[in-house]
Amino acid sequence: MSNQPFVIERIFDAPVERVWKALTDKEQMKQWYFDLAEFKPEPGFEFSFEGGKDDRSYLHLCKITDVIPLKKLRYSWRYQGYDGISFVTFELFGEGSKTRLILTHEGLETFPYNNPDFAKENFAQGWSHIIGISLKEFLENTAVKK
Amino acid sequence: MRRDVFQAIADPTRREIINIIAQQSLNLNALAENFDVSRPAISRHIKILTECGLIVIRQKGRERYCEANLKPLGEVSYWIEQYRVFWTSKLDALESFLNKEMIFPDKRTPSKKLKRK
Repeated sequence: MSNQPFVIERIFDAPVERVWKALTDKEQMKQWYFDLAEFKPEPGFEFSFEGGKDDRSYLHLCKITDVIPLKKLRYSWRYQGYDGISFVTFELFGEGSKTRLILTHEGLETFPYNNPDFAKENFAQGWSHIIGISLKEFLENTAVKK
Repeated sequence: MRRDVFQAIADPTRREIINIIAQQSLNLNALAENFDVSRPAISRHIKILTECGLIVIRQKGRERYCEANLKPLGEVSYWIEQYRVFWTSKLDALESFLNKEMIFPDKRTPSKKLKRK
């Protein structure tokens, strides 16, 4: 049983329909996510965007793999010119007038290979304080489910 | 050949080995008893984990004990931390977008003005 390296969960004070629209409508996505040339919530649809941190930007290449309207949106997520592939899944659960969103980003461990930004020297900075807070959480998150 | 902490944790059996060893150092036989896979398969995983620096083998008398060295996992938590920061900021933005939209409904689409109780 494979684990999920990264999961984040939120409850929004908005019904599922509105959250789904914010995730899949190009005009709405622009306001909180990325400004895409086009977006269609259909399996096989491909989109890309520039994103990164500080002075470095990467072309993100994404391809939709799963769409269950109002419930689930999943796409691949990789970086042009680099090895590795990850998958982002948005899952929505209606809870009355609210919506629980579970975002899973799998396959992050496939990236660091080959990327100068991901090289070990760059991990050294900030390493010591992060290990204290995140290691425990990391280990708990990666505990294999029995 | 790629040998780093990311490869070490890419396999579920290796993650389980790390979890077990992190709690107590074990010799190979005792460790292998926790798994259904063959002992040679466990040995191969141990070899990879050793090469990745997550496990250190110590000779104690006639036994060889596997000890965990968790320091390299800091690389992973740092790596994942970057994505945590990214997604947290995106979901914050989504939340404020949804709240803003609630106060100023989009005029172009029909919206229910009455608040449902």
